[in-house]
Amino acid sequence: MTRLNLNKILLWALFGLCVIWLVIPFTIAILWSLVDPSQPWTPDHLLPPSMSFYRWGYLWAHSSLKIAMFNSYMLAPSVAIVTLTLAMPTAYALGRINFPGKEVVKLLVLLPLVVPGFVTAIFFTAILFQLGLNAWRFGAILFAHSILFLPYAIRIMSVSFETVRQDHIDAARDLGASTFERWKVAYIPALKPGIMATLLIVFIYSIEEFAIAFIVGSPNFTTIPTLLFTNLGANFIRPNAAVISLILVVPNVILMLFLERLLRSANPALSSGKG
Amino acid sequence: MTWRSWLKLGLLLAPGLGLILVFIGSVVYIAIAQSFGLFSLSGESEFSLEYWSRMFERLTYNRAIGYSLYVGFASAFLAVLFAYPLAVWLRRPFPGSLTISAVLKAPLLVHGLVAAFLYVNIISYHGLVNQIMQGLGIWDGPHRLQNDSRAIGVLILQTWKNMPFALLLLVGSVSAISDDVLDAAADLGAGPFARFRRVIAPLSVSATQAALVIVFVGALADFSFQVIAGPVNKQSLSQLMVFFKGYGRWHDAAVVAVTLMGLGIAGSALLALVSRFILRGGRLS
Repeated sequence: MTRLNLNKILLWALFGLCVIWLVIPFTIAILWSLVDPSQPWTPDHLLPPSMSFYRWGYLWAHSSLKIAMFNSYMLAPSVAIVTLTLAMPTAYALGRINFPGKEVVKLLVLLPLVVPGFVTAIFFTAILFQLGLNAWRFGAILFAHSILFLPYAIRIMSVSFETVRQDHIDAARDLGASTFERWKVAYIPALKPGIMATLLIVFIYSIEEFAIAFIVGSPNFTTIPTLLFTNLGANFIRPNAAVISLILVVPNVILMLFLERLLRSANPALSSGKG
Repeated sequence: MTWRSWLKLGLLLAPGLGLILVFIGSVVYIAIAQSFGLFSLSGESEFSLEYWSRMFERLTYNRAIGYSLYVGFASAFLAVLFAYPLAVWLRRPFPGSLTISAVLKAPLLVHGLVAAFLYVNIISYHGLVNQIMQGLGIWDGPHRLQNDSRAIGVLILQTWKNMPFALLLLVGSVSAISDDVLDAAADLGAGPFARFRRVIAPLSVSATQAALVIVFVGALADFSFQVIAGPVNKQSLSQLMVFFKGYGRWHDAAVVAVTLMGLGIAGSALLALVSRFILRGGRLS
């Protein structure tokens, strides 16, 4: 059997696996979100006997979905901007300055990813209690998310800073550009894809983050993942959980695909239009 | 470097690295201190080993350790076991390989809670698996598959979610192995398995270690898969920690947290050593 034939067989096998892997679970979730309560989907029916957008409308009008979406979509962009702002100076140091212990610093930056999420969440709450700051939950989650996602921002931005071409900076300086102008013409064009990628990745991770939003936010502050968790537990109503799952997953998949394109295009020579 | 350069460097690192060290350092410090009776939120703070000794006597704690280790090690092993052959297959591009790669990595984009919900739909009492098995005449009636006592559901979910990540790491490492090296091995009479054992495995040790450790640490600290699809008579360490915190038992939660971090470090070191030993054909160096 040639390698080409083997690949074809494996390809078809994988196509079958893909149907089981992705298509069936998501189709079932979509169908459940469309089940009309007037005629429940019972085991003797292959498809729901009656389909409508009733559940979508009902959840929008009568649950905390609106609040959860507002909280999540207010929190995520704020986290993205704060994280990027905090990450820039460290990323600059890692990308543009050679200093002893740089590799150790690069490793230490990854610390938030090593400590389990629920340990961070629970003992961050303990700190908030001790400082008496547990009342402002939006601020607390914003602060915790910003630090939790700093490793991603610092990593992406330090790579972007590394790729800023020294000859562009020198040329700008030789032509009399001030510090601000050098940033404008040499740094920013090269950093733009990295900045966009950082904002997007932190936005997505913040929307999806569950442990801190659940522990620090409970019981008053709801985000989309905490609302989904509630609907998968004590308040389990399958069609409602399907609606919230789709609301959580679909925008993020689209954003992730956009992010992948951004990261692929993060070529500083191209983005600066030079080189 | 002059003191001015060091000062500039310190100021640049402060908002990023500085905040990380203060925040994560405080979290870890508070957890360790509270596990020894200090930093009490609701009473006297006094150094004590009582919380540890009481916890060691608790059956739920000891069972949670065993259960979390089982989920952690089994998930890491299964994720790498499925990812390895796929990484070798996708080592060199062929028509359709990009699509396959994208499909396999798709679960990375799906939130863990959504994955759990999708899985629960499939295996529920009147779900697809039960319907198919009854339709084929294999089962007489529906079986209860959700929250199974051996945590098969949790392992399926962990593998589904983590295999793409292991694949991502392994594909990069396996692709970097030059064709010349593999061709030379084939010319010397090595079959596919021998090429894998003597060339691919030793040259992809670092990626395998990284994949095993990352999946292990995540699965060891699992909360959401366990709560939704896990056995009802067992608790994971994260679940136990959240339970104690929910009742305001901060010191007990701290003991569990420190255990979780300790097991994470010890388990990661063990996995890194064992995988290196096996993949390098019984040698550590």
